[in-house]
Amino acid sequence: MNFEQLSMLAPEFTMLVGGCLALLVGATSASQRAQLVSPLAFITIVAALLMTLSLGTPESAQVIPGLWLSSLTFYVRCVALVVGAIIVLVNWHQPTASERGEYMALILFSLLGVLLTASSNDLIVLFFSIELVSIPTYVLIGLSREDSRASESAVKYFFLGALSAAILAYGMSFLYGAAGTTLLQTSGDGASIAAWASHGVMSGTAIVGLLLILAGLAFKVAAVPLHVYVGDVYEGAASPITGLLGFVPKLAGFVALIQIFSACQWDVPDAAYWAIWAMAAATMTVGNVVALLQTNVKRMLAYSSVAHTGYMLVALLVGPMAGHGPMHNGVAALLFYIAVYGAMNLGLFAVLSAFARRGKPIETLDDLAGLATVSPLIGLATAVCSFSLMGLPPTAGFVGKLYVFSSAFSLGAEHAFQKPLIILAVIGVVNSAIGAAYYLRIVASVYIRESDESPTPVAGHPVRWGIALCSIPLLVLFVWPVGLLDTARQASVPTNAPVHSVKVVEASGITSAPNTTPPVLLNEMPFAAASRD
Amino acid sequence: MDLLTLIVFLPTLGAVACLVTPRQHIRMVALAVSFVTFVLSLTLFGTFWAGSGDVAIFGEHYGTLHETVRADWIVGDRFAIEYFLGVDGLSFPLIILTTLVSFLACLASWNFDSWKVNRGPRAYFILFLLLETGMLGVFVALDFFLFYIFWELMLLPMYFLIGVWGGPRREYAAIKFFLFTLGGSVLMLVALVAMYFFSDHAITQAMVEQGVDVIESGYRDGVGVTHGTFDMIELATNTAIQGYFGAKSTLFLGLRFAPLMFAFLFIGFAIKLPIVPLHTWLPDAHVESPTPISMILAGVLLKMGGYGFLRICYPIFPSGGYTLAFYVAMIGVVSIVYGALCAMAQTDFKRLVAYSSVSHMGFVLLGIAVMTKSGMQGAMFQMIAHGISSPMCFFLVGVIYERAHHREINRFGGLWLTMPKYGTMATIGFFAALGLPGLCGFIGEVWVLLGTFAARDMFPWAIPMAIVAASSVILTAGYILWLIQRVYLGREREEYKGFLDASPREMFVLVPLAVLCIALGVLPMQTVFNFTNGTLDLMLAQVLSGAGVG
Repeated sequence: MNFEQLSMLAPEFTMLVGGCLALLVGATSASQRAQLVSPLAFITIVAALLMTLSLGTPESAQVIPGLWLSSLTFYVRCVALVVGAIIVLVNWHQPTASERGEYMALILFSLLGVLLTASSNDLIVLFFSIELVSIPTYVLIGLSREDSRASESAVKYFFLGALSAAILAYGMSFLYGAAGTTLLQTSGDGASIAAWASHGVMSGTAIVGLLLILAGLAFKVAAVPLHVYVGDVYEGAASPITGLLGFVPKLAGFVALIQIFSACQWDVPDAAYWAIWAMAAATMTVGNVVALLQTNVKRMLAYSSVAHTGYMLVALLVGPMAGHGPMHNGVAALLFYIAVYGAMNLGLFAVLSAFARRGKPIETLDDLAGLATVSPLIGLATAVCSFSLMGLPPTAGFVGKLYVFSSAFSLGAEHAFQKPLIILAVIGVVNSAIGAAYYLRIVASVYIRESDESPTPVAGHPVRWGIALCSIPLLVLFVWPVGLLDTARQASVPTNAPVHSVKVVEASGITSAPNTTPPVLLNEMPFAAASRD
Repeated sequence: MDLLTLIVFLPTLGAVACLVTPRQHIRMVALAVSFVTFVLSLTLFGTFWAGSGDVAIFGEHYGTLHETVRADWIVGDRFAIEYFLGVDGLSFPLIILTTLVSFLACLASWNFDSWKVNRGPRAYFILFLLLETGMLGVFVALDFFLFYIFWELMLLPMYFLIGVWGGPRREYAAIKFFLFTLGGSVLMLVALVAMYFFSDHAITQAMVEQGVDVIESGYRDGVGVTHGTFDMIELATNTAIQGYFGAKSTLFLGLRFAPLMFAFLFIGFAIKLPIVPLHTWLPDAHVESPTPISMILAGVLLKMGGYGFLRICYPIFPSGGYTLAFYVAMIGVVSIVYGALCAMAQTDFKRLVAYSSVSHMGFVLLGIAVMTKSGMQGAMFQMIAHGISSPMCFFLVGVIYERAHHREINRFGGLWLTMPKYGTMATIGFFAALGLPGLCGFIGEVWVLLGTFAARDMFPWAIPMAIVAASSVILTAGYILWLIQRVYLGREREEYKGFLDASPREMFVLVPLAVLCIALGVLPMQTVFNFTNGTLDLMLAQVLSGAGVG
């Protein structure tokens, strides 16, 4: 380990230092200094983002034991930091001044956890990174507002989160038992899960381990049947922090799933495949149907977040093997979708936090009535975010849904799971029509309903900027999705080429950069021999 | 800039202009923009005026287009979505209809300030112009993906126009309209994606069969998956794609591809048409919409369903259309009869006109389903004719609603005496809807019925259906004559004595429509058939050969 290697972790160090500084500044008693915390957090994230961009896409390599930088790391860093900056904007004035230091520091630490998740190369590091994402969120919910419901949901979230962490660790121990190592991949010949997975058939132990890992992470991404907490937790937390809850743990969870699956060469055993299939179908359907029954906007968006997890699970199930065009590659579609989801979901929570009615924060559809007359621009932003969640042109949500579902359609006839995946995509498409019904109720409240007492704006400039930064990119990404797509596509190329394909490459005398070679693409060639049976 | 792009996006530019115009001039800007768009669309005639014969106008084979524009839009790794516009006999009359109805509807919105709404005109006219862009885009787009985008784009302004400026139950009506259309377009999206990947398989398979190396030919571009196409003309005319789509062995989820995709697309378009039993959004949307929006809804939006059948369903999945012809025709006949019966039972003036639309669009469906020349021609003519008569009827309802503030048919009476000019226009409009010979409604219905009889060799059920459809004309005459009797004839009523006759502005909207009602009825060849038949006949010939019956 030398300085050059460490410098590749500059974004992570920046976040760490920024978080510590925020704690220090916040601890001083002068309230003026507490006012410095939010700008400090914002600058930290922007600095980390600039460093990420200046470092560029790292060559896949292990920097220090347990950390492996790749194009996935780059993509996740960018997305997490951009959305993270907006999260800080939305939370600018949220907690009382005396607690703002801790509050912002925790947001920074949670984002740091996401960055580490994307670069971990060891089951243990992965576990710690995910806990680093989760533990600050438990506290943040409690700190976010002085309301007994916030404390209640913090406790609920904590106990269930601790349970899921235990399940996750238990599953990892099985995987370790089967593979004999915790290392996800190595560049040389050493033992790693990737090397182990490419050699043989998965044993029962490994399958149990994978299923348990899946269960543990299902809690983080809010997938059925481990979604039961979302309604209460999202409702209890203050709106700005709910925006964070809908995005940060989900991103971390999906990145961890991608890490583990790509270590397993995307050779998911049938049992796990069907488990995810059922989970995706149930998650989409339950999320949308339950959301349809809500009148509380926060609960509605909570279940909508469950539904979107379902769409992302579809893309995860397709995996990167279907090819590397954006309409074929499930992981690229997933990475694109989660970035778009982060913006549109956060945008709506930011709108909720920007208004109050009768001195209380906005919670129900009735509270939103007449918003467009009070503030036409924010009304428009609400409509853009809602239509994007609905998946309607001209928004990025449409492009995202298109990629997710078309990736599921793209598998060749020889793929064993072609039919189940098409069925899943059809279920998803039908679900997005169901989903439209409740998002439309939000738009209807904002634009059509009239109310005796309209909501009053309470937000400062940072929150307004946050709303603008969430909604405008949704329109831009519809017209010009190619930039983000290309980055997502690069990130979806498995961080290490499967060992057997590396061997093929080496045998043919080409030794350079096996990491950029896509995996064996036989099973996507419609008329090639079936490679999966 | 090319003509079609200009026509489609000029209203969008107008919408941007409306953003910055002072409030009192907004309607002026909107009117000017919609008028200029109308004039520009008329210049398309120049392209078609040169030839006089049917086929000569459109070239020798289906897919000859005018004014085409092609550019890459979203092109990435092995997939391409194009910005591809063009005009042929299917879209040309509908484009003119759209710009005309939009212009007249804009004029009908002139008295915006007297509507009892608390929202300003700015957003209204902006959405109105965006809606026009969406509608025109649907008719000129030839890339299926682009078509789908415009199709969805037009949904949003319509939702707000009904929802914000509508009547008392506007929220319900707007959401219902939105969800029905979205439900249909979701099925369309499935078909869109499936067609894309299946066309890819088809092209690759054809290459393999011809012994072309897919990698060396560059099509496959090294490793990975190729790309299919969204080009609607290519999908309909490429023999490899057509062969693969129509083959019995091509399955989608275990079902035959062509009939299944046909059904998906059919439901998507039929909701818009609308068909019984998926029509229930239509009366609600019409009753709650402001008058100009009703005019557009009836005049243009319903035609998108029919256009979708002619542009996508039948040319691309001829065998699907042939297999399912009975069910499609049956739905058409049921819509004709059920719509007419419902119209007869209405007491709300606007709801009656809405149900009459359901009945009239049933003829469109029947004409297309039987797959004969006169059937298709009649269906197309019926769309244009209904696009002229129904906005007129809705505007007539609007005129009287503004004065009386109610629409109860039974409370009216003797209006012709009070408002002679208005009464005359109303008679022309409603008689055109009735299908009186000499007016536009007649030609379309007769052509469809003739076409249905002509299909007797192909479909044994054609004659009974034609008889039922023909008899339903009695029902149509029944509800329209009864309507005219209750509203316009009879003794003058005390409460309506003070009503002013139609104003010059209102006459300006009504007279062009009335003139067209007569012109289309008297000169059907010169006004419509000469422009549409060439493309329709060529398309039909190809559809029949594709279905294996030509």
